[in-house]
Amino acid sequence: MGTVTIEIDGVSLEAETGSMIIEIADDAGMHIPRFCYHKKLSVAANCRMCLVDVSNSPKAVPACATPVADGMKVLTNSTKARIAQKSVMEFLLINHPLDCPICDQGGECELQDVALGFGNDVSRFTEGKRVVQDKNIGPLIETDMTRCIHCTRCVRFGTEVVGMREMGATGRGEHMEIGTYIEKSIESEVSGNIIDLCPVGALTAKPSRYKARAWEMQSTAGVSPHDCLGTNIEIHHRRGEVIRVVPRENEKINEVWISDRDRFSYQSVTDSERLTQPKIKKDGQWQTCDWETALTHVCDQLNNIKQSEGVENIGALISPSATLEEMYLTQKLMRGLGSHNIDHRLRQVDFSSQFEAPMFPGMEFDIDALEDMDATLLIDADLRREQPLLALRLRKSTRHGRVMSVHSGEVENNFKVSPNVSVPASDLLAQLQGIVAALIEQHKEVSAELTELFVDIKPTPDQQTIASELRINDNACLLVGQSALEHSKSSHIRWLAKTISDLSGCAFGELTAGANTAGGYIAGALPHRLSAAEESNICGWNTQQMLQKGLSAYLLMNTEPELDSSYRDAARVSLLKSKFVVMMTPFAKGEFLDYADVLLPIAGFTETSGTFINVCGEWQSFTAAVKAKGEARPAWKVLRVLGNLLELDGFDYVSSQEINAAVKERFESTTDARVGHFQRPDSLESGGEKPRPLSMYDMDSLTRRSLCLQMSVQGQDNWRRDQIEHLVASQSLPETESPDSLINLSASSAESETASLQESSDA
Amino acid sequence: MANEVCFRTMHLDEPWTLEAYKSVGGYKVWRDILKNKTPANDIIEQLKTSALRGRGGAGFPTGLKWSFMPRGMPGQKYVVCNSDEGEPGTFKDRDILRFNPHQLIEGMAIGGYVMTATVGYNYMRGEFYEPFARMEQALKEAYDEGLLGKNILDSGIDFDLYNHMGAGAYICGEETALIESLEGKKGQPRFKPPFPANYGVFGRPTNVNNTESYASVPVILQHGGQWFLDLGIPNNGGTKIFSVSGHIKQPGNYEVAMGMPFKDLLQQCGGMRGDKPLKAVIPGGSSSPVLPASVMMDITMDYDAIGKAGSMVGSGAVMVIEEGTCMVELAARTAHFYYEESCGQCTPCREGTGWMSRVLHRILDGEGKIEDLDNLQDIADNIMGRTICALGDAAAMPMGGFLKHYKHEFEHMIRTGRRWVDDQQNAA
Amino acid sequence: MLLKLKQFFDTFFLVELLKGLSVTGRHLWKQKITVLYPEEKTPMSPRFRGLHALRRYPNGEERCIACKLCEAVCPALAITIDAGPRQSDGTRRTTKYEIDLFKCIYCGFCEESCPVDSIVETRVFDYHFEKRGEHIMTKAKLLAIGDKLEPQIAADRAADAKYR
Repeated sequence: MGTVTIEIDGVSLEAETGSMIIEIADDAGMHIPRFCYHKKLSVAANCRMCLVDVSNSPKAVPACATPVADGMKVLTNSTKARIAQKSVMEFLLINHPLDCPICDQGGECELQDVALGFGNDVSRFTEGKRVVQDKNIGPLIETDMTRCIHCTRCVRFGTEVVGMREMGATGRGEHMEIGTYIEKSIESEVSGNIIDLCPVGALTAKPSRYKARAWEMQSTAGVSPHDCLGTNIEIHHRRGEVIRVVPRENEKINEVWISDRDRFSYQSVTDSERLTQPKIKKDGQWQTCDWETALTHVCDQLNNIKQSEGVENIGALISPSATLEEMYLTQKLMRGLGSHNIDHRLRQVDFSSQFEAPMFPGMEFDIDALEDMDATLLIDADLRREQPLLALRLRKSTRHGRVMSVHSGEVENNFKVSPNVSVPASDLLAQLQGIVAALIEQHKEVSAELTELFVDIKPTPDQQTIASELRINDNACLLVGQSALEHSKSSHIRWLAKTISDLSGCAFGELTAGANTAGGYIAGALPHRLSAAEESNICGWNTQQMLQKGLSAYLLMNTEPELDSSYRDAARVSLLKSKFVVMMTPFAKGEFLDYADVLLPIAGFTETSGTFINVCGEWQSFTAAVKAKGEARPAWKVLRVLGNLLELDGFDYVSSQEINAAVKERFESTTDARVGHFQRPDSLESGGEKPRPLSMYDMDSLTRRSLCLQMSVQGQDNWRRDQIEHLVASQSLPETESPDSLINLSASSAESETASLQESSDA
Repeated sequence: MANEVCFRTMHLDEPWTLEAYKSVGGYKVWRDILKNKTPANDIIEQLKTSALRGRGGAGFPTGLKWSFMPRGMPGQKYVVCNSDEGEPGTFKDRDILRFNPHQLIEGMAIGGYVMTATVGYNYMRGEFYEPFARMEQALKEAYDEGLLGKNILDSGIDFDLYNHMGAGAYICGEETALIESLEGKKGQPRFKPPFPANYGVFGRPTNVNNTESYASVPVILQHGGQWFLDLGIPNNGGTKIFSVSGHIKQPGNYEVAMGMPFKDLLQQCGGMRGDKPLKAVIPGGSSSPVLPASVMMDITMDYDAIGKAGSMVGSGAVMVIEEGTCMVELAARTAHFYYEESCGQCTPCREGTGWMSRVLHRILDGEGKIEDLDNLQDIADNIMGRTICALGDAAAMPMGGFLKHYKHEFEHMIRTGRRWVDDQQNAA
Repeated sequence: MLLKLKQFFDTFFLVELLKGLSVTGRHLWKQKITVLYPEEKTPMSPRFRGLHALRRYPNGEERCIACKLCEAVCPALAITIDAGPRQSDGTRRTTKYEIDLFKCIYCGFCEESCPVDSIVETRVFDYHFEKRGEHIMTKAKLLAIGDKLEPQIAADRAADAKYR
């Protein structure tokens, strides 16, 4: 790729050959109006708004579709360009409703902005305007199709980025309509992005419909608490209330997209019933109390149990989406008490290789490197369900590369996968062993022990293909999926995956549960390791032991083990049987009302500061966007006070940054960076099982409580239908007065309310 | 001079059969090429000499177009015949398909050979039931004769031809929309560049020509490019089929030499219906601007002369309009056609055609305002040259013609609410 | 010397006093401009900016569409609006519309910015509050004022229409 020199509005610019005028102008900060052009989508050149004047062209040409040429002179503001832009603007506006005040996009509308610059103040269009019927495309996106300007960004997003053709254009000419053709709900798990893409108010967010204007909202940068990517989000809030969540551009992680659960899960903290005051259960009745009472009660009870039953009968379970600070303080608290029963690995079943685990499980390459992969092997990964944005990245690689998958159960991918091996969970090991065997066959230098181990295994053609693809391609990787770690032989799966990676030379990656599994490892929220992977002398109980064998007292940090863990039934029994359960949660309703003894209200994800460490080891800190509701406090503050009340050392942090710094110091001073070194087992294992996979919006306590997500198609798949019914019952839409009742209201209340106005005027 | 090229079998009984075609020397050129492996460049040179220009409407020199195909490029290439004859007033391709399908097959096969394309598609519009059947029958005959297929007549040359029927959209006559439609997508034009010669059907190099252009090729090669050129006038070689319709005695297709005076053509058609005086002529299909009788009677029918007069030959659809025809109604009907047929992809055409049509119909309904005329001209100018394909231009151009020559009729209707022609008649 | 003499005569013949009395006398016979408020009132411009009101359409539908332009334009930040889709028909409506009369400076920007002529300032200028909190004009109160004064409001807008 060479470079050429072009001139835009008299400014000389260097441009790469093949790039379009609009890209060069954007890079140079020169604004050319546009609607259909989007840097992440293909060029459609159908809105014609970006017409510019190019030397040696008699007509104005679209800047988005005109490649640069050496010596090209572009004028974006000449009379020719200006007339062209104005005429296109007029055409766009003739059939567009001019009722911006009632449009939800008003104030942040690209058409409104551009119309201000290029539109006439008076319309000469006196005919009737086109009216298009609105479509119902589900509970997430509101449509107002009369406002559509047919830029086809939403259509192109579906076809090109998601790989699901859900939106399309039907009819032709003025009768062209954007829609789903047959009325149906949008099924994509990243559908919310078309709200951002739509330059007008045709597609807007349904949950936040009409709630706030763009200019009244403040914006706080945040990190999504749902998956291990650490998706960057922007939380928009007004008067202490979160209104919506939009993507924050980060080319390395989420580009400009976010998934629907990142976008709409805020509903759980704004609309669901929140715990606003500490509560203590006395004689089976919940009683509201103040913080002091609640925390003293917790301390007393913990000390009592420590005295009577021994400290090893106390344990803490932490949500894998808790912040680094919360994880660190929880484990510090427990270890201060003397207990090592701490775990955040709620979905893990097989802990046999936990001592061989790396500093933290994750990807050995960057997320953005995924789109350049020529060959990718997915091992039991259901990306669309678990890390939807990673699926978009990987889909990009399928333009030139190949994606292969070995998985158990049903997995639907939005890109081409071949070979696509689907087996029962018990055959997963055999499949991977076959790939290793194929690699040993193809490889020259393999240790004798390894060869011997796999001597009896005959690889199938599919396994041969996978092995050779990974071996031949320089840009190759494998990803062990989140649900592979729920497999009862996950240690063996990890070792096999690592072996495949070693033998084929492909990069290795593990995808983890929650937003902060890496943080959990680094903070030491593990029974066998202290923070920064320092080996602990004592190995406490892990999740499995805690929930299956049962403890006397539990500290539950923002988690509901009966739903979040792989031991749902055992968790229910153990928690009900235990003497004392402290529940730190932002929510007022849940099964925990039955088993908990103290409820400590903590801040939701938009209300606390903290840090998430993503799957690549990226530390991303964020601040609270809004104040916690009621008496609720950020969890790290609660833990700090609890630590002080228990008279433990080192709980004098005044900010979450201090805690972060403390962990970081320990993390950075760890000289021997521990690399995962899985021991070769003596024999090959087989069989194994996996718990039934959670549906996409049943994975964490936030999505479970977000009504709009549960109402969506993906949420309808949720096999725990009861929670949806519960949600619908508990959070009906906010009451707004109907016109009739309002008139009555004013007629009756007018007298009383205005009586005091004492109007002496008879004007 | 008539019926020498595309209609050369016309004088025979059942002119569409293989026998009839062979009797006038059909497939001789193709057999020669298969036998002698005539260099492709020679054929292109012949075409360039003949000055054959694309008969679909744009009038791009065919020889030059063929030379643009990256012949050396490996991989599949395609030749596509555009028989989506949608331009109002045009019906010449239909008759070629009905009465001389073999000549088209031969022309496409030659095209395939020259451009090293082994697959051809003949895209016909959705309304062409009878031509489609004829074409299918002809294709079968050609395959049975061994003139198409793999390794034709042991020459090592492959050429397969498929007939494809569209669903009847005017926009699919635009070459890139045709390609999209052929691929099974919605018929919407692509942005150019890249041109089909680089990125056409299924992303492969593709040459799209009109039916008449392909059908002219065998005759040109049989008699030589110079012969073809001499049929017409310089730079406007050969013959052209004019689909003459409107207020004349014998409407129909007339294959005549380029450069024939319009007077003579009118005479061939039997003159005006009821011997009424001529008012105006739309010389090249509905997208060409109208020309009044005074201009038309002095003009010759070729690209240059009509172009100089401010219109174009287009697809050769000559619509003859007699005195007493209301031009406002004609303009409104034309505008309505483009409003209905715009694909809706790009803004100026989608919105502008509807706007023009509505304004014109409002004028017809007697609710016009005098500033509407300026607005109409302005809308047309604003559509012109700002769209992805030429449909926008096609919709805008006739408006300029109507307003240029017959503005008084519009003004009269706006002022009085009556048709100018009626008032003229009453006055007379 | 001459000046002193003039001063003496002026003082002696009470010239200043008479001058002053002549002013009094002039005004004694002039038409009075004092009005006997509240029985009498001075004329008022249709543009008078007094107490606020929310108007309705003749069919009883409230005009306000919750566009929030008045809230945005208000220089004193006196207006607070919450909006949402109305449950019965999903149209954009306010769920809360409040004007803090202690903050309001009666500049009339809200009225000017209103695209549907919903928020208006009426001719009412004489009102008082008796209890804490009454200065917050709720949506119901504003609508009630609008309902009561609609004929006058409509007449005022009509009178001023050609200048707007």
